[in-house]
Amino acid sequence: MNQNRDFYAGLVATVFFAVILFVLIPIYVKVPSFIPGFAPPPDMWPRVVAIVGLVMGILALVLAYPKMREASRNQVEGLGNRILGNKTHLMRFGAVLILFAAFVYGMPLIGFVPATVLLLGVLFIMTGNFERKFWMIGLSIIFPVLLYLLFTKVTHTPFPEGKLLSFSLSDLVTL
Amino acid sequence: MWNELLYAFEAVATLPNFLAMFAGIWAGVIIGAIPGMTGTMAVTLALPFTFYLSPVTSILLLVALYKGSTYGGSISAILIKTPGTASAACTVLDGYPLARAGKGGKALNMALISSCIGDFISNISLFFLAIPLATFALRVGPPEFFMLMAFSLTIVASISGRSLVLGIISACLGLLLATVGEDIYGSYRFALSEDMKSGLGMVPVLIGLFALPELIKMVVFRPEDNADAMKLGDNRLTLSEFRGSIKSIFRGSLIGVILGAIPGIGPSTAAFFSYSEARRTSKNGDKFGEGEIEGIAASESANNGACGATMIPLLALGVPGDVITGVMLGAFMIHGLTPGPLLFQNNLGDVYALFIGILFSSVFLFIAGKATAGAFTKISRIPQTLLLPCILILCVYGIYSIGASPFDVTVLLVMGVVGFVMMLLNIPAAPFLIAFILGPMFEDNMRRSLAISRGDLGVFFQSWISWGFFALTILFVTLTIRREWKKWRSNRNADTASAS
Repeated sequence: MNQNRDFYAGLVATVFFAVILFVLIPIYVKVPSFIPGFAPPPDMWPRVVAIVGLVMGILALVLAYPKMREASRNQVEGLGNRILGNKTHLMRFGAVLILFAAFVYGMPLIGFVPATVLLLGVLFIMTGNFERKFWMIGLSIIFPVLLYLLFTKVTHTPFPEGKLLSFSLSDLVTL
Repeated sequence: MWNELLYAFEAVATLPNFLAMFAGIWAGVIIGAIPGMTGTMAVTLALPFTFYLSPVTSILLLVALYKGSTYGGSISAILIKTPGTASAACTVLDGYPLARAGKGGKALNMALISSCIGDFISNISLFFLAIPLATFALRVGPPEFFMLMAFSLTIVASISGRSLVLGIISACLGLLLATVGEDIYGSYRFALSEDMKSGLGMVPVLIGLFALPELIKMVVFRPEDNADAMKLGDNRLTLSEFRGSIKSIFRGSLIGVILGAIPGIGPSTAAFFSYSEARRTSKNGDKFGEGEIEGIAASESANNGACGATMIPLLALGVPGDVITGVMLGAFMIHGLTPGPLLFQNNLGDVYALFIGILFSSVFLFIAGKATAGAFTKISRIPQTLLLPCILILCVYGIYSIGASPFDVTVLLVMGVVGFVMMLLNIPAAPFLIAFILGPMFEDNMRRSLAISRGDLGVFFQSWISWGFFALTILFVTLTIRREWKKWRSNRNADTASAS
């Protein structure tokens, strides 16, 4: 039972659009001193959207509040409690975030292909299913290499080779 | 005229033309099915090859690639919840639930048949209606565009699922993300980093939002059935299913033809518009988004219906409607042909040859689609624990190849996390999708119209086209408010009854 899920959605939306409206738009949407013709300024549309989003977020909170109170009267476990109560899920989600961040920051250092090999291997491990170990090991090496060959040969995409490694896959392929 | 037609038929029915069309469609289907590789990429890559071909063969090759890639996008959309092209984004909404229910083959068959019908109707209209449609398209300026976009955005109400408020929140998020980057007058918005100045790419955002949350969900929650492959159930499309979708197919094809003929709109908008209309009018409207085969028929007939029609302004007026027809304009010029009214006077034989060749391409699309879909359906047999991580890697390579930009990959991963959080909070992703695609067109045309009229709002009500879309927008907004009010009252009554 997740009666209070709408409440949290409304809360997240309210905070998000409030930050956009009162913090990000004033700082990150610059209004030029001269606008050609009578065109509306660049901050007009984001402001309109953020205001609508904020109003809808508050509306979602207001509409979900009675249901949430009823849920707490009936001692129904809320979404927040469910997520915080199950720390394993939270840790796994945190691990996904760390993995993605490590890929983004590590890829320029170790190169695109090794980074994707590692990303795929770790993701296979994180799925928690080890029935097909040989497939997992094989795929995590062969699949990124095949994709690398496809995209370098067909679209001539220059993939980052990595600052830390002295050799590149393209050298191996040309050998 | 008949002599010219006969000559044109003779000119088309050559082995090089058939080979070019067949290869083009085949390559297009495969390229479209790979996430991140788009029709634009396919056509641009093929352009150098056309230097060595005759003018008609060159254009047929490029058109075949365009059509093939538009259909190909639906394959990955249905089987792996990853729209290969933006125009297939709408197909995900019903295609993937069908595939999960073991009806992937059925969904692919419907996508293929409706694509071919849409394509054929589009080709016929190119043959007979090129001039009147091009004249109509010329009358659609920024104010009419704005009204059309406003009407299209009302679809948010029908794809919001159980909560309209959450649907509008999702749409606002999409509209807001679409404003990131440089606007039409050169001002930067939300450029938190240097990379963000050029905005967020449509493909990484869409693929991240749809394809990645499934993987994150599997990693975080590890559902018991994650080691299983999707079931392969009934894959044949029945006559009754086809009959039930026929109205949506024809309506989608016509929407595709009309919107495709207007420069700047393209297949994505046509697909959403058609999907929205099908949902509004279908007796199974409530099931749209949960695996309704009519939804696939509506979106696929429209996006392929728009393909042939995008050639209308190019051929009749010399105006390329999008990047792909822009590349085709280049191909025409390379071969000494100048699209526009003079083309019909000076090179009528070539124009007819092109029309006939394009008509043939619908048949090739069916053959290539049927053969390829059969092979792609085997993807369903791969266990989810192997398939989903591989999809992420495929997306990472595909996205990086678009602009050789690590930032696009970052956007892909961040949008995956955003999509997962939206999934947790029950915020529907479909309104985000449509708002992100239509939002920039809506805003640009509003600002252009106001700039033209020097701030006078009357510019939006100066033509019958604007009035028509305005009336439809008001009608659907009123109907939605009425429906929501009724729903709220019945819920309140039910709560009161259960409390007493």
